[in-house]
Amino acid sequence: MTADTNKFVIPIGPQHPALKEPANFEFWVDGEIVTGASVRLGYVHRGIEKGAEARTWTQNLYLMERICGICSHVHATAYTLGVEKLAGVEVPPRANAIRQLMAELERIHSHMLWLGVAAHEGGFDTLFMYSWRDRETVMDLLEKISGNKVHYSANLLGGVKFDITPELAAEVHKGLDFLEERNRFYLKVVTTDETFIGRTRDIGTMTTEKAEFLGAIGPTARASGVARDIRVDAPYLTYDQFPVKVMTHTSGDLHGRFIVRIHETFESIRVIREILDHIPQGDLTTRVPRRIPAGEAVSRVEAPRGELLYFIASNGSEKPERVKVRTPSLCNWSTVLSLAIGLKLADMPMLLSGIDPCFSCNDRSIRLKRGQQDPQVWSWEKLRQYGIEYYR
Amino acid sequence: MNLSLPPILVLLVFPGGLFLIASGLIYQWADRKLVARFQNRIGPRFIQPLADTLKLLAKEEITPVGVHKGLFFALPVIALAAALTAGLYVPLSGFRPAASFRGDLIIALYALSVLTLTMGLAGANTISRFSLVGATRTLTQLFSYEAPFLLSLLGPAIAAGTWQISEINTYAGQNLWLIIAQPIGFLVALIGLMGKLELPPFDAPEAETEIVAGAMTEYSGRGFALFRLGKDVELIIGLTLVSAFYLGGLGNPLEFVLKTLALLLVLALLQTAFARLRIDQTVGLWWRAGALLAVVQLIAIVLGRNLGTIF
Repeated sequence: MTADTNKFVIPIGPQHPALKEPANFEFWVDGEIVTGASVRLGYVHRGIEKGAEARTWTQNLYLMERICGICSHVHATAYTLGVEKLAGVEVPPRANAIRQLMAELERIHSHMLWLGVAAHEGGFDTLFMYSWRDRETVMDLLEKISGNKVHYSANLLGGVKFDITPELAAEVHKGLDFLEERNRFYLKVVTTDETFIGRTRDIGTMTTEKAEFLGAIGPTARASGVARDIRVDAPYLTYDQFPVKVMTHTSGDLHGRFIVRIHETFESIRVIREILDHIPQGDLTTRVPRRIPAGEAVSRVEAPRGELLYFIASNGSEKPERVKVRTPSLCNWSTVLSLAIGLKLADMPMLLSGIDPCFSCNDRSIRLKRGQQDPQVWSWEKLRQYGIEYYR
Repeated sequence: MNLSLPPILVLLVFPGGLFLIASGLIYQWADRKLVARFQNRIGPRFIQPLADTLKLLAKEEITPVGVHKGLFFALPVIALAAALTAGLYVPLSGFRPAASFRGDLIIALYALSVLTLTMGLAGANTISRFSLVGATRTLTQLFSYEAPFLLSLLGPAIAAGTWQISEINTYAGQNLWLIIAQPIGFLVALIGLMGKLELPPFDAPEAETEIVAGAMTEYSGRGFALFRLGKDVELIIGLTLVSAFYLGGLGNPLEFVLKTLALLLVLALLQTAFARLRIDQTVGLWWRAGALLAVVQLIAIVLGRNLGTIF
């Protein structure tokens, strides 16, 4: 869409109280009604993919974990899965089960974080404070297992670092009981509170066809009735041994997204209990060569926000040739922009947070699609010249 | 209780002026602390509102491009002056109002509306887009809660047979608490007060996640401090009015503190219990439910009085 100078534009971002990370949204409003929307990303581009090419396979593990502060484990898992596939290494089942356990704990932590943020965007600060207080429980569990609250660093190439001892398992069980009880309460709040329903029901409704058309993924798509979940469609780790159910909702509106995410939290709690009770015995690690054989691999995992895809190319050396990451947030932006039109300005923060965006995740490359006459499109020679003169 | 002080003291120190501002800050703290505790937070220390105000007063005031300079400086002063003027007519801390005449209820409410009006104007004065949307919402909300709130305060006035705040206060103190006689009126007055103070869930005019600080976005330093003080004074006046009318009058300072704090507790609880209403939902709620309820209460009072005289 092109900018129209006659429109009244409300900018949200890059610095705005509604956004916890920088991005720029422009909403064209007629009174309170939104008539157009555009997004500009890339404020937190960090050059991680390029940086990966300069590091060894093991060093990259830690780099990939730092793509996202919320779903750090799932990035490392996707990366290790790809590298192990290239190396042709079979990981011990116990290690895979522990990876799955961490991933599901992470999902609980991510969904509870999202619940708080989304409630805050809707002006429901009490729910925000409560859900973040209770989220500490799952973060404490992660800390007890790994020693870290945010970057657990559980993965190694070829296994995991930490074992689940029976004492730890008992603590996790205890924490899960508390989390389950609290999430039942939150489910009750989001389904019965009149003002909350007033802000979420029939807001940003996306039909199944539209979700398919716009390429929505993750809980955003599942709230529109698209039963798509990598954990079920293409099981990795031990997801075939400890399967999860795909949680869908038919309403397609913001309310549905709340319900789907809380139900997914319950499902995560259930599957963690199952893993703790039937965790396979065996080693935690296996040996992975320092040089990974040449080849290409694609690994897909289900991050809390949707499908996360890694493409890894090796040329047989100690360092990867190319690592391409496609994060779920990037796939869902089009749904926000197309659903925004016709809604009220007051719905925008909730609609934005409804897809659970993670800006630093998706800001890794920018491609400007503009006309040839545009001064923003530079030839390589011009760019190089600019670089030389800038530092002269 | 009666108090005879020189008029200049009444105006500047007690119960108007300094005392009013100080108690406004304390009530702001009480409100923030209560909301914080309900939300499982620690909340600010009691000195925080004063520290905020002093900090703002000491800060550089930035005049944005595109504003009418005179209005930009005058509006905060008018806002605080209007709120302080309203304070002269209400029985603050249980004493007789500093000034009193027939129909001062209307004047007090009008002065409070001027405060909101100046905030709306202050937002419309700038070219900031957040301020403009905030100003539109502030004024829209003004038009929605004002009539029901006024009607709900007219109930006690009709029951007492006078539109003089001090006499209504005396009447309320001598009779059955009006919260029992006119429960609907009390409900509308309470919610109306929340709308007037732009407290959650009626805080769409200053919804931070949408329009930053609404009409106040471009204000910093002195102007913002004065607007905030005006808001604090409005809070204490609103609490005084509603508790004087509906909670059995305010006869002495102890009664004043207990009743207004009890009311503030209820307000804080209501602030934490809901998600923010959109501006269209606020308007809908007020005109569909609020105004209707207030009118029903008014009809009930009039009928009751007339039937009472017939039988």
